[in-house]
Amino acid sequence: MKTLAVVVTTPPYSPLTVTALTYVETALTAGINVIGVFFYQDGAMHANENISIASDEYQAIAQWQRLQQQYQLPLHICITAAEKRGIACDSVDNEQINEAFTVSGLGELVELTTKATRLVQF
Amino acid sequence: MSTLHLVRKSAFTTNDFAQCLSVLDQQDAIVLMDDGCYNLKHPLMDSLIKRANSTVSINVIANHAQARAIETLAAVNKIKMNDVVDLTFNHQKVITWQ
Amino acid sequence: MISSDTQEESNLAQGNGLAIINSKAPFSSDFGKDALDVALIFGSFEQKISLFFQGDGVYQLIAKQDGTLVSIKDYLKTFSAFEFYDIEDIYVCQQSLVNRQLDETFHIENVNVLASVEFGLALNRHQHVLRF
Repeated sequence: MKTLAVVVTTPPYSPLTVTALTYVETALTAGINVIGVFFYQDGAMHANENISIASDEYQAIAQWQRLQQQYQLPLHICITAAEKRGIACDSVDNEQINEAFTVSGLGELVELTTKATRLVQF
Repeated sequence: MSTLHLVRKSAFTTNDFAQCLSVLDQQDAIVLMDDGCYNLKHPLMDSLIKRANSTVSINVIANHAQARAIETLAAVNKIKMNDVVDLTFNHQKVITWQ
Repeated sequence: MISSDTQEESNLAQGNGLAIINSKAPFSSDFGKDALDVALIFGSFEQKISLFFQGDGVYQLIAKQDGTLVSIKDYLKTFSAFEFYDIEDIYVCQQSLVNRQLDETFHIENVNVLASVEFGLALNRHQHVLRF
């Protein structure tokens, strides 16, 4: 069984994130079971509802959201990394968190790596 | 176990590519992506290609090189993202150098 | 806790756990601390984890550092907790030390200094690799 877990450490406005997204979507289209994407370090900024990228530029957050909806792809944000970057994760309904993302901890990264046959970092 | 190495940084800026080469094993594969494409023109790439009896597969994501107007080399395979996905599972693990 | 159900038998156990490569110096970015956090969480979940130090990452290991002098919480001191978390396999790239004129005086024990080939072989024994 080909299972893949991906770690994203780049922010939504970085061109490097386009590469990560393209890789993940390519894997999904190829029928690979991508069991989750873990957003760590600057990757945690993806959860920020307040991020506004110029409309003529690549919309990474919308793309992740599309993959999440289309493939039920779990998108995990590391809570510590998010809070350090100004994304409040402690309110009742997490209104600052984009709903496509799940607030998680590093324990989730342990889960993903134990279940995946491949772990790829971006 | 063979490894797939994703090289995303220019060797003209950082040591990442050099560090990758120091742990490279005979059956491994390298994919140059993002600014790793600039390594096509770096002396380290030259010596890698010229290594006698080298069985290391060297690849570059064609779009990434073309976006940067970097010419590829005969010894380097031009690939697409679905080849990167295939390589991910043809090798036993992946190390990203960034 | 990770399930011990055989069907979910840890893929980490098939290769030999997770390897983390540390490639950055300790006091100019969060990479060292972020790597340490991952290492400790794997340790606390009793998952096999090995630490590799290469390039400027070797600076994280040298003795007599004091981050507090530059107002950095000295997370390097937490390295002494490795044993408590059963993090026993610690490897340093010898060439990286030599290039930086560093001698093998580290602030923790049981550090394996390896030449490039052995360093690569040790890395190869792991199932997954993260690099910070």
